[in-house]
Amino acid sequence: MAPPRRMYPRAKTGAARLVRAAPWPPSSSMGFVADQTPAPDAGLLDGYRPGPGFDEAFEADGSVREAYRRIVERFSQLDAGELRRLERLVADEFRRQGITFTVYSDEEGTERIWPMDLFPRLIAAAEWDELERGLTQRVAALNCFLEDLYAGEGAAIADGVVPRWLVVSSGGFERNAMGIQVPHGARCNVAGIDVVRDGEGRYRVLEDNLRNPSGISYVVENRAAMAKACSWLFYDHAAQPVEQYGRMLRSTLESMAPGGADSPHVVVLTPGIFNAAYFEHAFLARSMGVELVEGRDLVVDDGTVYVRTIEGLIAVDVIYRRVDDTFLDPVVFRPDSMLGVPGLLGALRAGTVTVCNALGNGAADDKAVYAYVPDLIRYYLSDEPIIDNVPTYLMWDPDQRAEALGRLDELVAKPVGSSGGDGVMIGPHADDEELAAARAAIEADPRNWITQEVVQLSSLPSFTQERLEPRHVDLRPFVLTGERTQVFPGGLTRVAMRRGSLIVNSSAGGGSKDTWVLAPEHQ
Amino acid sequence: MILARHADALLWVGRYLERTEATVRCLDYAANSIIHLRGDEARVEIEQLVKTLGLESVAALVGSLEGRRQLFAFLLSDTGNPGSVLSAVSAVREKLRSTRERIPIELWEEANGLYLRFREFSDAAPPPERLQEVLLMVRRACLAISGVLNEGMRRDEGYAFIVIGRMIERSIFTVGLIVAGYTDPRGTIDATRMLRLTSSLQAYHRRHGHAPDPEGAVRYLLFATDLPRSLQSCLLRAEDRLKDIGATAGALDGSRRKVGLLRARLELGEIEEAMAQAPVPALSALHWDLAEVASEIAVEVVPPLDFPTVRSQYLRPGEAGGLGGT
Repeated sequence: MAPPRRMYPRAKTGAARLVRAAPWPPSSSMGFVADQTPAPDAGLLDGYRPGPGFDEAFEADGSVREAYRRIVERFSQLDAGELRRLERLVADEFRRQGITFTVYSDEEGTERIWPMDLFPRLIAAAEWDELERGLTQRVAALNCFLEDLYAGEGAAIADGVVPRWLVVSSGGFERNAMGIQVPHGARCNVAGIDVVRDGEGRYRVLEDNLRNPSGISYVVENRAAMAKACSWLFYDHAAQPVEQYGRMLRSTLESMAPGGADSPHVVVLTPGIFNAAYFEHAFLARSMGVELVEGRDLVVDDGTVYVRTIEGLIAVDVIYRRVDDTFLDPVVFRPDSMLGVPGLLGALRAGTVTVCNALGNGAADDKAVYAYVPDLIRYYLSDEPIIDNVPTYLMWDPDQRAEALGRLDELVAKPVGSSGGDGVMIGPHADDEELAAARAAIEADPRNWITQEVVQLSSLPSFTQERLEPRHVDLRPFVLTGERTQVFPGGLTRVAMRRGSLIVNSSAGGGSKDTWVLAPEHQ
Repeated sequence: MILARHADALLWVGRYLERTEATVRCLDYAANSIIHLRGDEARVEIEQLVKTLGLESVAALVGSLEGRRQLFAFLLSDTGNPGSVLSAVSAVREKLRSTRERIPIELWEEANGLYLRFREFSDAAPPPERLQEVLLMVRRACLAISGVLNEGMRRDEGYAFIVIGRMIERSIFTVGLIVAGYTDPRGTIDATRMLRLTSSLQAYHRRHGHAPDPEGAVRYLLFATDLPRSLQSCLLRAEDRLKDIGATAGALDGSRRKVGLLRARLELGEIEEAMAQAPVPALSALHWDLAEVASEIAVEVVPPLDFPTVRSQYLRPGEAGGLGGT
């Protein structure tokens, strides 16, 4: 029988004090059963029971982890009404500023207010240090792989590290990128690596996003909103600032200018105001102090890209594009694309402009190729991976497929080209019909499916409008690579707002949390 | 440096902002005047307001605007009417959204806030009793936007284009208002009405010290240098901003010449002379010239491009030759 868990009691108002654990079993007024509605004056953390898996804030025995001690104290001094008031403040602020995201399938149409939970995520300096090293290592290997694939000799393929057919059959592989050189061999200039923590609290990479990872604007805006609504929370913590992202990104992009141009002309290319991530595109351009352009603002003449200004055409050196590969140039890709720039690929091939992220990065963030990233780290860097993958099975492999199909109800099945949780089947949560459908889909097209062990995802106290309950979270840190690689100190913590749910995507009702990387002195 | 698309968008921000204010003034006037009118009198007044705003063709598509309620809906929240407050406010928001990285955050926030509050009102189909509440809200928001523009925006090309847009739209409205006055089927030029629709009545009183007469009101609206809404003031300000752009960007020479020419004709009495002989044709020609200036600026800001032939320049990987080799 599992040892009884100690519960976290509500702190009394007044001076902050150390948390005192409550006796076991809890009294009825503590509302241990999480589904019970607490009394109106109940504390936000009364009855908090860490969920299955790793709880970021609480030990398995219910005591508070050291990094969270003061945050928990602060929140225990609030009541639900006050937290609701603060949430409304934040929502009003986001609404006023138009900090929104778009759900295309939503009948309401375009914009929803960005959801943020006020209980922050804290990452201790030592923990972050390991993450930083692991992420740097991973992105370095991925850059090596892409450079080797598109501009090198394909050594990893020739040496059998990754099967050639698997790479070239990837939806993200781009033949038109072959032979295109990029400065410093840096093709993943902005990488968003999704990481989760398993039941033991170990970080694992869930997936790599190397094409157009989004979310960084919400990291910065979450912090700004937290600083406005809950400035008192920061008094006890030395959280690393996040507003420097624009400067970091700009210097990264400037280092990518062809020929090492002085004062290179950088622009951000957006599909336009109706794109789901338009807010982010405008945010990035504003925070870098560069122009946000649409395809119609750019023109290619004699192998050079120009932007149309009222002064005439001005040459562009670096394009941070937030337009997918297939829309970039209607001459080469989709002829019906109104978002791209006719002739852009010609300019790219002529070496007069750099497009960041590089064309064809999808070959490396294909979920089937993901399974080979640890081997790529060993191959290119002669290192052991610092952060492991989630155990993954390749459905094109008959042996792995047979084993996985035999216990599909214990695994997660993912189509390799999906994003935003589309098409993902979580075996333990699926009914017979869903399992049968996933099985049939895998058997019909095994190349395009992987299965993974279920990672419970770690959890954090999150506000349910009545109290704080554990909800699962993931983390998307951002890695910038130009002349050098930098991991941005923070990341987008997404939270599944439904109890037990592992789906954290905002389009599926997920929320977000401000993420604080604590400065070393805080330890 | 300003993108041609941004310049175009900000020019329209200025125009739509001005249009919002003008329409709100007309609605405010209508709410106070039409309640006292009945039958044909009310119908004529409605037609005059629609003509003043240059919306006759749009109104004809909608059908007859016979009552106050229909007029208010048409001018306030009809999305089929590009001159309605909702259309104009939505357009301001959309244009600012597409230029968001180069405008002050507060400007975007004010415009976004106005749009959201206005949508709340219009979605709830406000009863006529709430009309004044809506108009007050829009007027205050427009003042806040103007405040941010004047005090919070860098005096760069973006600012210049917003001001030019406002001045051109204001000029077109002012002259349209005078033309509508001269062609009023009731046979009289209502000087008070013209001045109230431009928020100039109080200024007129202070300047002249007596009740307005038609000729005095028209002259005031066209030539007064102390009135920010007079045609003369608008053209001067537009010309100044066009000079600013010319100094930094060396662009819009044609537009600057046209605005300068109009201003000179006004200053040198040419337009006044023409009006003395045949006021309606002279004013109609002036109205037309202003519309042409607006078109000229739009064309100069985003000139059509002769797209190079890029298809033949592109070689797929592995194909022989170099760029432009086929």
